[in-house]
Amino acid sequence: MSNKSLGEFEEIVLLTVAILYEDAYGVSIKKDIETRLNRNVSVGAMRTALSRLEKKGFLKSHFGEVTKERGGKRKRYFRVTQPGKTALEEVMESRKKLWDAIPAMSFDF
Amino acid sequence: MNFERKLPIRLLQFFCHPDLLEDIVGDLHELYEENRNVGGEGKANRLLWVEVIRLFRPGIIKNILGTYATDTIGIYRNYFKVSWRNLAKNKVFSAINIISLSVGITACLIIFLFIRDELSFDNFHAKRDRIYRLCELQTWPGTNPQNVPISWPKMGYILPDYFPEVEMCARYNNRGEELMQSGNKKLVVKNVAGVDSTFLQVFDFEMIAGNRKTALVDPLSIVITEDVARRFFNSTDVVGKALHNDGKEYNITGVLKNIPENSHLQFDMLYSLSTLRADRPNFNDETGSNFMIAYALLKPNSDVDAIEKKFPDFLTSLVDDEEINQAYKLFLQPLKDVHLASMDIEHDYQNYRKFNGTYVRVFMLTGIFILIIACVNFMNLTTARSNTRFREIGVRKSIGAKKMQLVHQFILESVQLAVIALVIGFSIGYLVLPFLNDLITRQLSMATIFSDPGLTAGILGISILLGIISGLYPSLYLSSFRPIHILKVVGSRSKSLLRSTLVIVQFSLAIGMIVSTIIVVQQLFFIQNKDIGFNKDHMLLISLNDEANEKYELMKEELQKDPHILGVTASGQRIGNNFHQYGFKYKKDTSILRIVPSNVTVDYNYLDVYEIKIKSGRNFSEEMATDDGKAFIINESFAKKLDFEDPLGQQLGHGWYDNDSLGRIIGVTEDFNFNSLHYEVNALSMVVHTDWNFSEMSVKLNGNNLQAGIDAIEKIWNENVTDSGYPFSYKFLDEHFDEVYKSDQQMGSVVTIMAILSILVGCLGLFGLASISIEQRIKEIGIRKALGATTSELLILLSKNYAALIVVSLLIASPLAYLYLDRWLTNFAFHISINPLIFLLGGLIAMIIAILTISFHTFRASRTNPVDALHYE
Repeated sequence: MSNKSLGEFEEIVLLTVAILYEDAYGVSIKKDIETRLNRNVSVGAMRTALSRLEKKGFLKSHFGEVTKERGGKRKRYFRVTQPGKTALEEVMESRKKLWDAIPAMSFDF
Repeated sequence: MNFERKLPIRLLQFFCHPDLLEDIVGDLHELYEENRNVGGEGKANRLLWVEVIRLFRPGIIKNILGTYATDTIGIYRNYFKVSWRNLAKNKVFSAINIISLSVGITACLIIFLFIRDELSFDNFHAKRDRIYRLCELQTWPGTNPQNVPISWPKMGYILPDYFPEVEMCARYNNRGEELMQSGNKKLVVKNVAGVDSTFLQVFDFEMIAGNRKTALVDPLSIVITEDVARRFFNSTDVVGKALHNDGKEYNITGVLKNIPENSHLQFDMLYSLSTLRADRPNFNDETGSNFMIAYALLKPNSDVDAIEKKFPDFLTSLVDDEEINQAYKLFLQPLKDVHLASMDIEHDYQNYRKFNGTYVRVFMLTGIFILIIACVNFMNLTTARSNTRFREIGVRKSIGAKKMQLVHQFILESVQLAVIALVIGFSIGYLVLPFLNDLITRQLSMATIFSDPGLTAGILGISILLGIISGLYPSLYLSSFRPIHILKVVGSRSKSLLRSTLVIVQFSLAIGMIVSTIIVVQQLFFIQNKDIGFNKDHMLLISLNDEANEKYELMKEELQKDPHILGVTASGQRIGNNFHQYGFKYKKDTSILRIVPSNVTVDYNYLDVYEIKIKSGRNFSEEMATDDGKAFIINESFAKKLDFEDPLGQQLGHGWYDNDSLGRIIGVTEDFNFNSLHYEVNALSMVVHTDWNFSEMSVKLNGNNLQAGIDAIEKIWNENVTDSGYPFSYKFLDEHFDEVYKSDQQMGSVVTIMAILSILVGCLGLFGLASISIEQRIKEIGIRKALGATTSELLILLSKNYAALIVVSLLIASPLAYLYLDRWLTNFAFHISINPLIFLLGGLIAMIIAILTISFHTFRASRTNPVDALHYE
């Protein structure tokens, strides 16, 4: 998996992890995307994206404390890494370049 | 209800990668609680199902082969490296493993080639599944019932007309050798046969020139093989040319490729049976005399049983004889059985290299036995030496090797070994096959294995399978160790019950084969040396053509003057096979009774030259005019069947004699084995007919100088047989007997070789096992010596376990071998009885060889200085 590019959904997940900062774990990420972007996210899709991002080195994760909720299952918290930040910046950068290149007339409807 | 007991979660636990499981289940739990609070339990459950099903995707599902993606290639490279190091480190054991497997594989490869060759007989005929040989079970009064492949000319002729299922029928009649002539060139053609015009349509002997359908229709047509064509004309383009014989001109209408070695019919020249009708116009209607071989080609999907059921009606339609079905029972023998399943068929002379099919199974069995013994060696030595791999297994397990990975590793090792053994086994086979070919008179070649890619792949596949099978147990055994145990306690004594059992299996097989060898060799020796009631030593057989028959008396007189020749006689048939049966009648009280004994026409001095003993009465005498055709000498069996108070002087004659001019019995001989020892002695009559032709002259030579005798005969032959130019050729009667028992002799050689190999391979394994167990007991031996045990006491101590195993093997092998051998011996009407001591002898041989093998280690161990064994601790 040398492909270090970001997919659309991956980008959203990565940004959301950054937004949530210290409270980024499965359910909170899912909910945040659902409320903020008004789109439905399955646990499966989100979890796969998280794993993939972690494998690419854009995220790192650690387990939280055992709590009574969730049947005693620990939460897995995610944090954006430096390469993750760089990747996000690159995406933004390239979008920006493209936006800048659009002549004003293009959107003249 | 506990969240984790829910079906969707259990399902998730089943397929989810364990690393992801905890937080996913936690997330699902959190969501579930929330959903339940908002929308109730039903909705929450439904949503949970949806989530779990959507989790079933790559990235979440666990890896089937293992939890972690591993560097498979790297691991396998490591396996190969480690197994090579192991092979190199324990050279003795590697050698034992590889050698025993190689020997097993060589034996199996050769046996495979042999069986393949035997099974290939008559396979080249496209219609082989529909071809049947018409056989008869003859039950004559006075003769033991016998199966024969011969029939009346009329049977085969009418067959296709009578049975709609029979597409066509081809009859075959061997004429032996003929002297053919082309211009001034006179050559003997060895195997000449008369056949129906359908012969080349039933059988697919390859034709170079001529028309299959028409070549043998017209009288005086011949089809010859390319060999014959080249010998006469130096060319195969000979259709339209002619060969002469006996004043007749035969037109060559076709040329065949040489008859393949694996055909039961062997001929050099075929002539059309219609040729015979010039002299015998009613040939196709002839009944009573059985001499034609008939091959029926059935239509596809014909019911053979149904045809056989109609045979009694068929016979009554052929002859006007109510009792015909008491004497004859016809049956159809499939072509594929002719070569391998004709041992119970007599008068079967057109069956080249006829072989006993049950011996094919015996060979297969011995091959499998050796392979088992070799595999057991591998299993035993690998498991017994497991402590040398303890550290490796322990380390591998501690750093995370799964049990299946270790199983893979060890199976890979044994497969590797099996493939090496295959290569070595193949090379050994390549080297020994020429010698073996001489012994069993075959032309087997290892190259056959490469002739068919499927076969090559198959053999490679079987070798790999062999590696897997023999590696399976050791790999399961080795991979089951607990790392904590094996890393801590090095060199523990493992239980060896299974190992002992395997040794017992090996030695049971080996002892069984040793005992079988002894008994087979005994029986073969018995066959060769039994007093068969006549003397076959230094007897030369010379076939006589018409001219030689005319000049027989002349030659006989001259031959008898030669000092190297002890006697000259002649007969209508060759001794050593069953003589043909003839219809006879005899007078008892006032009635004429019929009987069908074997009968042979002989020269006056036949009994003298063959040293057949007369029990009562007198020999034939040239002085008595009635001894020509009217005097019969019978054997004891015949006398018993006739059941006269005194057979001498009783009236007896051929079936065609007038009732009031029968001949008389002038003598009774002791029973002698004119047939092979597979069969009881039949009733036999001997008679002199001076006006009948002899088929062969028998010349008894002085054993001191056989060549001088042969030279003398050749000289006299060439002086006398001048008109026909028939060349002198001879055969020793001994050779003929060797032919009769060839199948048995070859089986004997194969079993002997296999028995030697099996004990050899078994002992190789024992050698290895003994060295391991003694190594493990070296301290015990040291202490015993230090306390005063003597060398001989130690020898006994160390050997007695193995001795016990061999005794158990003997007890297991003996009854099984006995049953098998007893059944084999019933193949022979004349056979030895099994002496129980043979089993003890077999056990003793195995014991001695085994003890000698291990004594190499025991002796060395018992002689070592105890200090060497003990000073480490």
